[in-house]
Formats: sequence, C-alpha cells, structure tokens
Amino acid sequence: MSCTSRLRCTINGVACDREIDPRLLLVEAVRDVAGLKGTRVGCLTGDCGACTVRIDGAVVKSCLVLALSVEDRAITTIEGAGDLTEIQHAFVAENGFQCGFCTTGMVLTAAELLRDNPRPSEAEIRRAISGNLCRCTGYDGIVAAVRRAAEARARA
Amino acid sequence: MIRSRYRFARPATLEEATALLAAEGGAKVLGGGSVLVPALSAGLEDPGLVLDSGRLGLNRIEATDRAVTIGAGATYAALGASEAVRTRVPLLAAMVAEVTGGPGLWNLATLGGAACHANPASDAPGCLSALDAQFRLACATGSRLVPAADFFRAPFLTARRPDEILTAIVLPVAARPGPSRYLKLKHAASSWPIVTASCLVAGGPGAPRLRLCLGGAAPVPVVAEWPLGSLGPEDAARLAADACGRIETEWTDELAGPGYRRSVAVTMAARALRSVLETPR
Repeated sequence: MSCTSRLRCTINGVACDREIDPRLLLVEAVRDVAGLKGTRVGCLTGDCGACTVRIDGAVVKSCLVLALSVEDRAITTIEGAGDLTEIQHAFVAENGFQCGFCTTGMVLTAAELLRDNPRPSEAEIRRAISGNLCRCTGYDGIVAAVRRAAEARARA
Repeated sequence: MIRSRYRFARPATLEEATALLAAEGGAKVLGGGSVLVPALSAGLEDPGLVLDSGRLGLNRIEATDRAVTIGAGATYAALGASEAVRTRVPLLAAMVAEVTGGPGLWNLATLGGAACHANPASDAPGCLSALDAQFRLACATGSRLVPAADFFRAPFLTARRPDEILTAIVLPVAARPGPSRYLKLKHAASSWPIVTASCLVAGGPGAPRLRLCLGGAAPVPVVAEWPLGSLGPEDAARLAADACGRIETEWTDELAGPGYRRSVAVTMAARALRSVLETPR
C-alpha cells in the first residue's frame, strides 16, 4: 500500500486527475484547484455550512473532507447543480439572503430537502437548515423562500 | 490549509489498513471527518499518517434475530434511513434524529467515529452504553469484541489501541424492542449536548430490566439498572436520584461548569424514566 497524493474525481462533470497536497481540504480544492468560488470557506469547523457541496448527490460540508478522500466520487458545486431554478427564484423573491455568504449552502441544502420531502413543514425546513448558519440572521426569509420554492414546484 | 504535514493512505482492505496502523505509531484513522479534519485545520493534531477508512466497506447495517450490527463507517444519514434501526433499535433511531449539524454533517459523520472520539458531552457514548453495545476492534493479528462498559475509559479515550481500527458496533436486540426514550439537554440548536438520558426496558420477557444511562454528566457514561418488576412512573424520581448518586466525578467543560451537570442530570434522568415507565406494558 503506497501513500497517495493523486486526486481523481469529477467536479461538475469534469474529470480531475492531478497531484495535490494531501493537506488540501475539499473546499480548498474546489475553490483554488478547480477555481469555483461559489463555495465559501466559513468556519473550518463544520458548524456554518457555507462550504456545502454535493458528493455523489448528497450535501456535505466540504471543510470536513480531505480532498484526497473524494477519489472516484462526483462533486457538484453550486455552479454545476442544474436543478435549482425555482429555489434561486424563491430566494430572490423572499429576500432569502442579506450578505449572501451562506446562500450557496442554504440553496443546496434546501434542494436536498425538497428532493426528499417536496412539501416540508416549517419545522422540517428549520431542521434541514439547522447546519447552515446565516450570521445576518435572515432565517425567516430563508424559510419563506424554501416554502415558496416547494409551492412553485407543486404547481409546476 | 492544514499546517502540519502527514502522509495519506486510503487502503482498500482491512488487512492493508491494520498493517499500516501496526507499522505507524502516530497514525490517525479518518472516519467521516467531522472531528479529525477540523482538528487538523486548527493545528490540534499532528499525525504522521492519516488513514482514510472510506474504502474498507465498513458502512453496512445488518440485522439478525439477536443483534443489529452497525458498520463503523455508517453515517447518521444511513442510520436515520435504516428500517432495521428504526424498528429494532428505536432508542438509537431517536438519538440519531437529535444529532446536531444538519444534512451536510449527517451525510458524512459516523456513529463509529463519534464512539471513538468519546467526547463525554456527545450523543453516542451514553446511548451506546444504554444499549449494551459491543465494539469490534481489528488489528493486524486478529479482532476482539469490547463491551461498552470497558470501551469508554475516560474523556476522549477508549479501549481502542493505536494499532486497532473499529470495524463495527454490535447492538444486542430483542425480537420486539421494549419502550425507550432518548432525551438531551442543549442550550442552542447547534450546541453539543450538556446531558443526555437514555432509558429503555431491556432483557428477555422473563426478566425485564429497566436501564438508564446518563451521558455528559460524568467523564464516562453512567449506567444504572433495576429489575422492572412493578416499577411505575411514581418511582421515577427515586430511581433518578439513585442513578445520579453513581456520578462520582462530574464532567465539566466550556459548556457547563462545576455543579451544573450534576444538578440537571437528575431532572433529565427522571423525565426519561417517567416516560418509559408510563408506557403501557
């Protein structure tokens, strides 16, 4: 068993195959190797959720993942997720953001909630975003946006 | 970026993994990453080798007549979606539903990792002790099964040796689970637990026993057990006082200073006991 430092994965459908520093976090690989700046570095402790991306379709906090751990996995960032239109419109309509730093994570997390639970209650919405912190404290707008997105999808 | 340098290995087999751990004294096993990776980012860990367990196939959840076996790599999301956990180990299902962190954490963090971290103020140690869990530890020369009472040895310290890796958690289960209740006190949505109370009726139908475990109250989980007999809700306060009398050293940390956990533990214990004893049987 040799120790490796080669990252092989896909990021937004594009194959990535290159030597990297084993100390690189996934969020750092996404931002600084792939150049995708929509994913944010927030707390580096797993609390804030600003670094949320999808690994094989499931949202994860990418500051908790070493880049080399995503070997053979499919990474999707906010730039590459194609199923967010209603949610993005709803966030704009409901003022579901202020500074916007948390929005990437909020939108991706909301999308996973609505995938699994198309008509969530307010309590279910708040539980789903409990790992995504908005330091502008714009939670009411965010919850309203998720509800609006669910209603928009139900009508579609 | 993480400051200190380390080598990174992602072995494909348990044999390779245990050989690496045997050869490397200063290795850290990486599970979901929710504890180790932030510690690396903060410069609190300086391992020679980071061994990623992600390819070892340790994420299965298997049920037999007598046990539910949780692979050490099973995530909270997998546990939450597991029919076996929901129907056979409802206490664990209740605990999993209360884990802090949101789906971005539940999709990667593992019960096995939480057990090995052994933070007194966390969900896993107390709940797993209440369930009489056994921990399967593998090393290059074999494996052993360690009961919870021996596994959680001190704050942030388990019976796992540096050359061992946790492969599974074995939970003995009855054909039909008895009533159970998981309660925790925390002071903010994103907080670690201050005190947890896990209560259930265990043992066979011939000799049912009432078991309570307090997590967070002491450096290691505190378990108390009584024959169920004719105990009822009116006994909850007395039993809670009995259980809390077994807290020798109180656990304190930045979340709760001296005296606090001891004072709230008795209330948490009584609530969990009362809830279980109120369930018709």
